[in-house]
Amino acid sequence: MPELVIEDLSVRGGNMGRPILTGVSLTVKPGEFVALVGGSGSGKTMTARSVLQLLPQPLRIESGSIRLGSLDVAGAPEAELNRIRGGRLGMLFQQPKKMFNPNKSIGAHLREPLKLHGGLRGHAAKAKALELLAEVGFEDPRRGARSYPHQLSGGMAQRAMTAMALAGQPEILLADEPTSALDKVLEQQILELLDRQRIQRGLGILYITHNLASVAAFADRVLVMDAGVIVESGTTESVLGSPKTEYTRRLLEASNLAPTGIPAPPKHQRSALKLTNVVKQFGSGKRGGRPALDSISLEVQQGEILGILGQSGSGKSTLARAIVGLEGISSGSISRTLMANDTRATAVQLVFQEPHDSFDPRMTLRASLEAPLRSENELSAEERSRKLTSAMEEVELDPALLDRRPGQCSGGQLQRVTIARALLLEPEVLICDEATSALDALTQRTILDLLQRLHRDRALTLVIITHDMDVVRHMCQRVAVLYQGCLVELTDTDRFFADPQHQHSQALVSAAIPCRGLHLKKFRAAL
Amino acid sequence: MITFLVKRTATLVVAVLLSSFAVFLIPYVTPGDPVRKIIRSRVAGDVVDDATVRALAESLGLNDPLPVQYLRWLGDFFTGDMGLSHISRTPVVDQVMPALGITLSLVIVALVTAVVVSLPLGIVAALKQGSRTDKLITTVTQSFIAMPEYWLAPLLVLLFALKLSVLPSAGWNTASSIVLPAATLALRPISFFTSAVRAGMIDALDAEHISAARARGLSHGQTVMRHVVPNGLVPLSTLFAVWLAGLLGGSVIVEVIFAIPGMGRLLFDAVVNSDIPLAQGGVVVVVALAVAITTLADFLHRILSPKVSGALA
Repeated sequence: MPELVIEDLSVRGGNMGRPILTGVSLTVKPGEFVALVGGSGSGKTMTARSVLQLLPQPLRIESGSIRLGSLDVAGAPEAELNRIRGGRLGMLFQQPKKMFNPNKSIGAHLREPLKLHGGLRGHAAKAKALELLAEVGFEDPRRGARSYPHQLSGGMAQRAMTAMALAGQPEILLADEPTSALDKVLEQQILELLDRQRIQRGLGILYITHNLASVAAFADRVLVMDAGVIVESGTTESVLGSPKTEYTRRLLEASNLAPTGIPAPPKHQRSALKLTNVVKQFGSGKRGGRPALDSISLEVQQGEILGILGQSGSGKSTLARAIVGLEGISSGSISRTLMANDTRATAVQLVFQEPHDSFDPRMTLRASLEAPLRSENELSAEERSRKLTSAMEEVELDPALLDRRPGQCSGGQLQRVTIARALLLEPEVLICDEATSALDALTQRTILDLLQRLHRDRALTLVIITHDMDVVRHMCQRVAVLYQGCLVELTDTDRFFADPQHQHSQALVSAAIPCRGLHLKKFRAAL
Repeated sequence: MITFLVKRTATLVVAVLLSSFAVFLIPYVTPGDPVRKIIRSRVAGDVVDDATVRALAESLGLNDPLPVQYLRWLGDFFTGDMGLSHISRTPVVDQVMPALGITLSLVIVALVTAVVVSLPLGIVAALKQGSRTDKLITTVTQSFIAMPEYWLAPLLVLLFALKLSVLPSAGWNTASSIVLPAATLALRPISFFTSAVRAGMIDALDAEHISAARARGLSHGQTVMRHVVPNGLVPLSTLFAVWLAGLLGGSVIVEVIFAIPGMGRLLFDAVVNSDIPLAQGGVVVVVALAVAITTLADFLHRILSPKVSGALA
């Protein structure tokens, strides 16, 4: 089997545009698991897209060569490229559900590469499609083939995407953050699936990610990319074990979410929030199936950091929305026993997952942030402006950003602005609903540090809703586990990781520990 | 899907019942003696004296409670007995059905023409978004919105019927009679359809799954044919149905200008002449058909775009 060789690749945004990639060289041999690591915007995805010759406008390759065996990919005619895309070169994407045509079934999608690259039609194609679906872990391949993309979970969609990539019998697989949108359990399943293909068929894998734990567990070699340049490369042992560059060290440190040991508030503290038998049923009771929240009772102590863990669909976000009152509940009660007669509706604030989706794209940040102040109390324009400036400083942002629109800011900046917006209303409880899940490891770390500082300085009670075990271990004093709308475990963080009680908790905890090859902890010790 | 079918059909029935009840009430809420008006639509001869009126009212059940009368009227209506026209003294059904046929053929020809014209225009405009071709197509088709039928129709008649003498100026006698009215009627749908196709195509081109399709090895052309055009056309199916339903009774200006004995014209005449039974028959038929068409379009939309059914099921 041939290898993929990229030599001295440079990509620019248009003729006079800024450099996107500069002098990138890398090799993926058959049967090799190569990781390309870096923060968002470092050029990882554009490297993969260059290989397929599918760069978005107006990006173009300026110099360098891309070869697959003896084939010069960079100079190949379009017809030849169409044969190798999805054929010899497979690709996985970050958000699998968005990568399917919503109006076509999974089976119809699978038949495309089977016909294009395998020449299979009709019954032969159908049979092969079912075989592939079974191979990637569909328990009922027939049903899988019949379903439409929106009916699949994120994990199943990535499996289907893998089946589609395998349909072309690829020699090299470009996996562009295939698991970043998935939780740890699913991540491990998908990576194991890819690794099995690597072992069985000698598939060469270029795994693009910002998640070093998975790299440590699966990759043979690592390349670290920063601002379009490969800053470091070598075997996984050498790069993670003795990083040569500052950037790699920072990446490692950011993913090293060790417990920070924030002291828990004294016991028998007053509770800030008290949920009693909260039930939320969507749709009418008779047909709605199981409720989204099933009789949840929970107390949040004043000044504590509580983690709520759960997979997608477990009811986490519904719970967050119910607590702040964005969602009515079907039965039960949610009471707030806040400080000194604090009856403000705004005393509990919510930080959302997708920073770009939580602002009106047409309004400047100043206008977005001012809106709640206008309705809340009677402040003069000057006072409002002063409050905005100090809130921005509190979250370590330049107040000049206030006059930008959301589209002109990075995800990390916007997530800070979301927090600033919440702080403006002087909340006592801040609920973070997957607030760092959409961010890369470096940015995630800075946001978590910010939250810790706010917790300390403002005596803010934090409820951190996440599927990320590392975040919970790093931040939280207590953990609540949601599973299918039920609260299945509520315990101290230490005890949770040492001795999880519920079956689902045990699965979560064991998936949080990398399995194959090197354990990241080994490298942390060397730091 | 089945729940949806049942629900939608039930809504359809309710809509038709409600609107037909309003129509049924017309003789009662318009000036004049409702009993005499109804008798005139039921009995061929002229009835003058009060004794006969009372006897007929009794035998026709006009002294029964309104709901009973309504149900009887509705039953008669849907078994083809729509009463007698006050003006022509002939059965309403014999006027409504031919008029409906004429309007349906006129409207369908016009809308199919509009689709045939706007499909390529919209697709080309979207594929070359921002180019001069796009701007030309968009500007020209958008200007059609500003061309009223009563202005365009005389112009077309002037050019093709009087100056060039290639098409008849009015009437509904030969096959070529349909050309000018259909062209007039098609113009505004062309502008709406083109912009809908263009917008739908641009959305579909922007979708992230397009790059995934290219990464599977589909050529640009194959991707457009398999994933962009079908997805981009889904909004058109709904728009087509809305226009079809709307033009059934809304082609009145064109029908009057071109002297076409269609539904719009029939309703227009019925209202002008206070021919209550004729207006009732026309309105109920048009409403029932319009509701049925939009319901069918909803079903079609669900088949074309399964995510819609998933979200509501």
